[in-house]
Amino acid sequence: MNKKAEEKIISVYWFIILVVVAGGVFLMVNVFYGAPYDVRNIEANLLSEQIANCIASEGKVSSNLIDYSQNVWLEEFIDHFTDHCSLNFNPTGEWEKTQYYVEVNFYDAFDIRNLILNMSEGNSNWKPDCELQGKGYDKLVVCSKKEFYAEGLSENIYLIKILTVVRKTEQNVK
Amino acid sequence: MRNKKGDILMENLIFIILNLVFLGILVLFLLNQGNGAIFLERTSAKQISLLIDASPPNSVLKLNFEKPMEIAKDNGIAMEDIIKIDNEKNVVTISLKEKSSYSYHFFNDVEVDSYPNSIYYIITIEEKI
Repeated sequence: MNKKAEEKIISVYWFIILVVVAGGVFLMVNVFYGAPYDVRNIEANLLSEQIANCIASEGKVSSNLIDYSQNVWLEEFIDHFTDHCSLNFNPTGEWEKTQYYVEVNFYDAFDIRNLILNMSEGNSNWKPDCELQGKGYDKLVVCSKKEFYAEGLSENIYLIKILTVVRKTEQNVK
Repeated sequence: MRNKKGDILMENLIFIILNLVFLGILVLFLLNQGNGAIFLERTSAKQISLLIDASPPNSVLKLNFEKPMEIAKDNGIAMEDIIKIDNEKNVVTISLKEKSSYSYHFFNDVEVDSYPNSIYYIITIEEKI
């Protein structure tokens, strides 16, 4: 092969390398910036924090939930606890069903099988998906579990477990 | 007639310049992607919605919005129209160019107001009546 032909082959080879590099960079950038910014984990944690602050403070169950003068649970709060805790779960935009589920369980601190009170709100269909966490299940829901102790009726100590579930898959996962 | 050494130098010089131009275009493309209107609309809407969720009533948030404001200005969007908050549906909508916007829902049921102030956006959070 003469020298001119060799030079031509080299320039074609360089051109192919440039195209491959440019294509690779374009693909990587698209994958990186095209993937939505998944904030559901933060959202689920914020939701459980807000509920915890609403139902208990300074180690005591809130007086919104217990009438300490009469020593009774307040049914009105239990039935509408999302309203009382300033939570809005109304579906918006493309969704017809709410994208949230919250569940609050009060157990006897000395007998954690003894469920004393249960409150829940939102779409309970999302709850079983919490068991399917990890790789390959990104398109399901994100769950947050929080538990703490608080003093309540007749100075009883309760273990309070809060489960929050956020779906919003379409906006957070590709 | 030019000598051979001169030809080789010229060819190498053109090759290096073309490579630099190519790398420059790639770097510009990368920087443009990170500061693109669509990307900023999405991230800003989500970040503001999380800030609202994390804020108790009677809070005032001061957000540095210099970059989104520059992009909005270049695209002919008024500063007052960058952030829209629907207090009925609890939705934050960010728009940085015409016919483009991104909305994200926040669960904290509060009354939110927003307005621009130089390079900042002020967000006030009050209890819903």
